[in-house]
Parts: sequence; structure tokens; C-alpha cells
Amino acid sequence: MCGSEKLPVKDMHLTTSETSRLQSICRILEEQQLDALIAFNNGQNLFLDANAVFVLTGVRPLAESAVVIGRDGISTLIVTPAWDGGRATRITRSNHVMSSDDLPAALRDALRRHRIDPKKCLTTGLQTLGNGLVCRIEAALGGKPLADKHLIAELARVRSPEERAAAQRATEIAERGYERMLEVARPGLREYELAAELYCAMKRLGAEDNFLLVSASQHNLAVRAAGNRRLDIGDIILSEITPCFHGQFAQLCRTTVIGRPSALLEEKYAVLQAAMRRGQAAAVPGAAVRDVTAVMDDCFREAGYGDYCRPPYMRVRGHGLGITSDQPGDITADSNVKLEEGMIFVMHPNQYLPETGYLMCGEPVVITRGGAEALSARRAALDFVPA
Amino acid sequence: MRTVHPSIIIGSYVWDEAWLPRDEFQIRTAALNRAMDEHGWKAVLIYGDARDSAALAYFSNFIPRVRWGMALLPRQGEPRLLCSMSSRDMPGMRLMTWIPDVHSGWEWERNFDSWLAGIAGAETVEFGTIGFDLMQPTLAEQLAKSLGNRVRLVAADTLLPADRALRPRELSLLREGTEITNDAAAALLDAWRAGEGAEAAALEGERHARAKAAQDVRTLVSLDGGQSLAPFSGAFAAKTGALLAYIAVQTMGFWSEIFVTDAAKAPAMLKRAEAGLAALLAAARPDARAAALHAAAVAPLGSRALHPVLSGSVGRRIGLGLDEGGALTKDGDAVLRAGQVYGFHVGGWDEAEGAAIVSAAAEITAAGARVLCSSADARQRGRQR
Repeated sequence: MCGSEKLPVKDMHLTTSETSRLQSICRILEEQQLDALIAFNNGQNLFLDANAVFVLTGVRPLAESAVVIGRDGISTLIVTPAWDGGRATRITRSNHVMSSDDLPAALRDALRRHRIDPKKCLTTGLQTLGNGLVCRIEAALGGKPLADKHLIAELARVRSPEERAAAQRATEIAERGYERMLEVARPGLREYELAAELYCAMKRLGAEDNFLLVSASQHNLAVRAAGNRRLDIGDIILSEITPCFHGQFAQLCRTTVIGRPSALLEEKYAVLQAAMRRGQAAAVPGAAVRDVTAVMDDCFREAGYGDYCRPPYMRVRGHGLGITSDQPGDITADSNVKLEEGMIFVMHPNQYLPETGYLMCGEPVVITRGGAEALSARRAALDFVPA
Repeated sequence: MRTVHPSIIIGSYVWDEAWLPRDEFQIRTAALNRAMDEHGWKAVLIYGDARDSAALAYFSNFIPRVRWGMALLPRQGEPRLLCSMSSRDMPGMRLMTWIPDVHSGWEWERNFDSWLAGIAGAETVEFGTIGFDLMQPTLAEQLAKSLGNRVRLVAADTLLPADRALRPRELSLLREGTEITNDAAAALLDAWRAGEGAEAAALEGERHARAKAAQDVRTLVSLDGGQSLAPFSGAFAAKTGALLAYIAVQTMGFWSEIFVTDAAKAPAMLKRAEAGLAALLAAARPDARAAALHAAAVAPLGSRALHPVLSGSVGRRIGLGLDEGGALTKDGDAVLRAGQVYGFHVGGWDEAEGAAIVSAAAEITAAGARVLCSSADARQRGRQR
């Protein structure tokens, strides 16, 4: 095992929001008379989930990891594999860093060094790990620990100013990426070639990750990962462009036609745009997600597509964006979550319509008193590229 | 090598019957059928996730782009594949597997319980399981609830032997993929030599591989003079005196990888690393043992330690995963077998001699190691471009 023997306390320079989240954790530990919080992550960076280790330390680990935060606020980050300790030490906000190829053994060691009673720990994120590893960690903790699966997503549900700035930058990267797509998309290009160009263009702009789906058809059932199909005249290209910048994902949903779109397609796409506008207006602080969803669904009902407001014709009307917090969760008709000022998520009334196939229209939004304000400079339109 | 796992695997991947006809999977699942007959199991359940899907891919060809997938393979009855995406996404998922019956795992009761009803009756039966150590607790609880007392699960991970040789069709696919890996590493090197910094050069290698239909690409570069490797940060630091980088490419399910070392003036460590890799390749043949291979590889390093990012190993099996076991460590007990493919790598870092790691992916044959892609190949291709 690597890691500092003396475990010196590193000076931390926390932002106001980071301090506030840390104080909340300490308060919870104090109230419940617990010694420490242990947050885990599996290193998979799901864009719909919170990565507790990233939120609490600023490090996107390569693999399974944990951070131990004592009631005094002192934190110890444990990363695997052992050789990643140097990078973690350079970028973390934690006081100590340990690196190891054996997470349970390192965790046991960290608890012993800080005189933390394993039976007096609250955990979060343990459910992201595989069963085999969970069993070994539970053995290190002396049994099934107290768990709060949603603690970090709740604490970080409203983005800090720094996180909002990063989300804004991620949105700008997405918009530049889409512009690049409009430049290069042409008949004959294979889907994977288009995806390669788009993905790498956004990475060149600093996107460390990208939940990118790009596919095309004359009549799409849904968006999917790029395949080897060649783009054709009359294709409708669907793109879900989701770069991540400093841990903040932002998503654009776009529909692009090769050649001039038909009047029918324009008419149907206008239904999605109207749903988007109405959804944005309804999404004010205090509004229930279910009501915002209903407003968007109403647009489709009024256009005669009420039967299509369910899977597999659509999935959700938007969703939270990891890896900080997945709140407010999925934008669905059965969600009672109340929107809060400063929440960031993607709103997207994407919809399959029988006449046109699946169409996409969506922006990353931030909740303001005036409604859901798009972070993007240009709203989704039915774009086209020359045939 | 561990690298940051992406939020989704975006590259092109479908079940291509030209490469893997249906009979290939009949041959593979025959081992499961034999085990089911022998033990009286009614089915085998195979789990994999986006990061570790080797067993799931071997039996189903399915590689989850995000989260997890599970193949439900009964001895009698229809197989089913569940994956952790919405029902809207199922048409795209069906393209990746020979199993025709693919459903969303998000509708668990509807899609698992209905399958179970056709397999298990009132009497308690047994199912074999593969990969269940990787399963997250929430899904495991859901599964346990569905199974109740009707089904007992028996770990059957050894049905896919850890030290198995790749099948001939697998070897063909892997060889095909190494062409892209070699080219991508050459593109990386070219970009570096043209004046790009390490991250920009690695991105060029990645772009090259993705434009040739790579399923996934991972890169690491050194930003600290070769002492360690780091994932993409987007900082795009200017070119420095030496390059130490790593690129791994997955094509049609199969991984291969290359380390790239370059500098205006070759570091002294490079000669040692190359001598170590040459000795390792010369010694790599069926029945060669890990400890002996390790000793041969590190001898040219003298008193210098193996580079820390290699975690004490000079090789491991690759295939449907970048680490399929068989680490060639000082005290390792792995034994090479014909038909396996190994990723071999040797290098070090030293204040005086700089940093270097060189590598080769090689098939183990009766005649010795047949190199499929390597640092040397990439350098050669780079010069020819």
C-alpha cells in the first residue's frame, strides 16, 4: 500500500459551497453521534448519478474509491489503483490521500489511524460497488453499515456558483460541438466517423467525458450510439450531445435533416418546441416536477399524440445531470420533487411521432424565478445540412 | 491498465455474423449446457457491467454501453437478455447480441419474473451464476426477491476458465483490432513529433481510432516527466522534452494496447526497456512461467524498479478485457498457454535515466510469441506516414 505514513493535515482551500456541504455532513454526524461518513464510488461516472467521491474531494477516480470524513471535518481520500495516488494528491480537496490496490484493507487502515469506530460510520455510495467488494468492506466495518444512499445528491442538489460556471462552459462546448457537426455531416459519412469528429472536437475544447449518442435514419425509433450506417439524403440525424467539464455534464438534444426538411416535419417539430417553451415557463421554484411534465405532455395531447406520451415512444421529459447530483431526478408525470432555484438539469420533450419517427429537442436549464432558463445560447431548431 | 471509465461507450459495436456466426455461440454455450446437465441446474445467469463484461460478452456478445446486462440462459426454454436501459433503447441493444429476446432491466418484474415463471415451478431448483460478484447490491436484492425460495444460486464462474485460450474466431477479431491500435499509436506519435503536447497527441491517436470504428479508446499520458500516468484533463499543456503515453483500443469487443515513449534524445531507460521486452518476448512460449518471464524482463533494468504504473507486472492476458488475469509478477503463478494473447510491457523511471515503457501484444503459439501490435510497430508506422 502507498500513502503517507504521517498523514499530515493538508491546508484546504474550500469554496463557500464546499464548506457548507462539509458543515452539513459534520452536523449530521454530530446529531447522530457518529464518528465518520464514508462515501464510496465505483469509478463508472454515470452521467445520471452523483459521484460522492468526486463531490467531496474533486477527484474523478480511475477505479473504486472512498473518502472518510470525520466528525471534525478532516477527510481522507482512498484511491485505487495504488499508482494513481500522486495525481489524486495534486488535485484533491481532502486533507489526506491514501492509495492502494486493496480498498477494504486501506479503509480499515484509515479508520484505525483516525481512531474511528467502524461501527459508528454512516456510508453513502456503497451500493455503487460490486457485491464481492461490498462484502469485503462490510467485513472491514464489522457488519452492514448505516447507509444513506441519497445523502450527497441531496446535499449537492443546487449547484454552487463554481459548478454552475462549469455547467455553463460544458454547454458552450456542446454548442461548439453541434456547430462542428453541422460543418461535417454529409451524405456518405458513416455514423461512427461523425461521432468521432464530434467527440474529439469537444474533447479538444476541454470536455473530459461525453455521453454522446448520434444516429440517423429516415425514420428513427430512438437515438442510439453511432453505428456503421452511412448518412443518406433525407436522413434525420438525432444527437444527444452531453460533454462534461470539471464534473458538470450539460446536454443538448438536436434534430438535423440532410436536405431541406419537409413541411410535415417542420409542423411536427414545432410541437416539441412548443412543449419545451411551456415546460420552461412552468418550471419555477416550488413547482412540482409532475406538473411541469404534465404541461409538456399537454402539448402532445393537444396535437393528438396523448397515446405516445409513454415508453417506448419517449422516456422522460428531462432528467438531472451527474456527476455532482442527479436531482431533480427524472422529469416524469409521477415525480413529486419540487424544483428549487439553482437546480440544473436537462429538459427535453423528445418524442416519437408516427409520421416522422423520433425527434429531439432539449436544453440544459437552470431554475430561476422566471422559469427554467436555458444555459444554451441558441434554442433547438429543426436544422438541416446540404444534401 | 486502469483508466477513467467513460459515462458511455460510444463507439460502433454490433453482433456481426460474418465474424461470429450463430454456431460460435452454440459452441460456447455447450459448456454451460453440460454443466447444467451435470449439476441439474435449470439455467445459468451471466452478469456483466460496462467496465467488466468479458464473461457476458463471451456467451452473449452483448457489451453494456452503460450500467449492466444479464443473460438468462435456460437449459430448456428461450434465452433472454436484460439490460439496464429503457424500453425505448431496446431496438439498439438488440443489435449487439445473438439473443433475440432483449428487454429492459428497468421493468424488472415484468421482464425477469415472466421469464422465471417459465423456468421455475413450485419446487426449489438451482441456477448457476457467472459474474455475480460484480453485481450491485440493489439489483442483487431485487433478484433475490424475485427468486424467493424457489431458486438457489450456485456460483459457476469457473465455467469460463480464467486461463482459457482464445477461440480461433476470437483471435481473428483481436488481430483485426490490433491494426487499428498500431495505427492509432502511430498517429499519436506523429502528432507529438509534429509539435503537439502529450494530451493533444493522445487525442489525435484517439480520433484516429474512433474514425476507424473503434468501439472504445482509452489514453493516459505522463504530465510529470514520466513518473506516472494520468487520464485526460483537458489542460493541453505544451510539449515537453519527453513523451510517455498509453493507448488502448477496443474493436469489435477485443482490446489491445500500446505504450509510446519518445524524446528528442532517447532516454537511457528506453534501451533497458527494449532489451527487457525483447527478452520477455523471446521467453514467452507455452508452459513459460510468470516468475521466469518476470525475471527475464526486469534483468536489463538492473537495480532500477519496474515502472510504478505497471503494478509489479510485466504482462497480463488481454482479450474481451484489458486485464483477464495471469499477471506476470515476480511471485506470480501464471503459466502461458498456446492461444492466449498477452499484453507485455516493460519499463521504468529513474532520475538519471528518464522514463520509458515499451509494450507488445502477442499471441502465444507453439513457436513462441507472435507480435500483433507493439511500440516498435507504432514507431515504424509513424516514420512511414
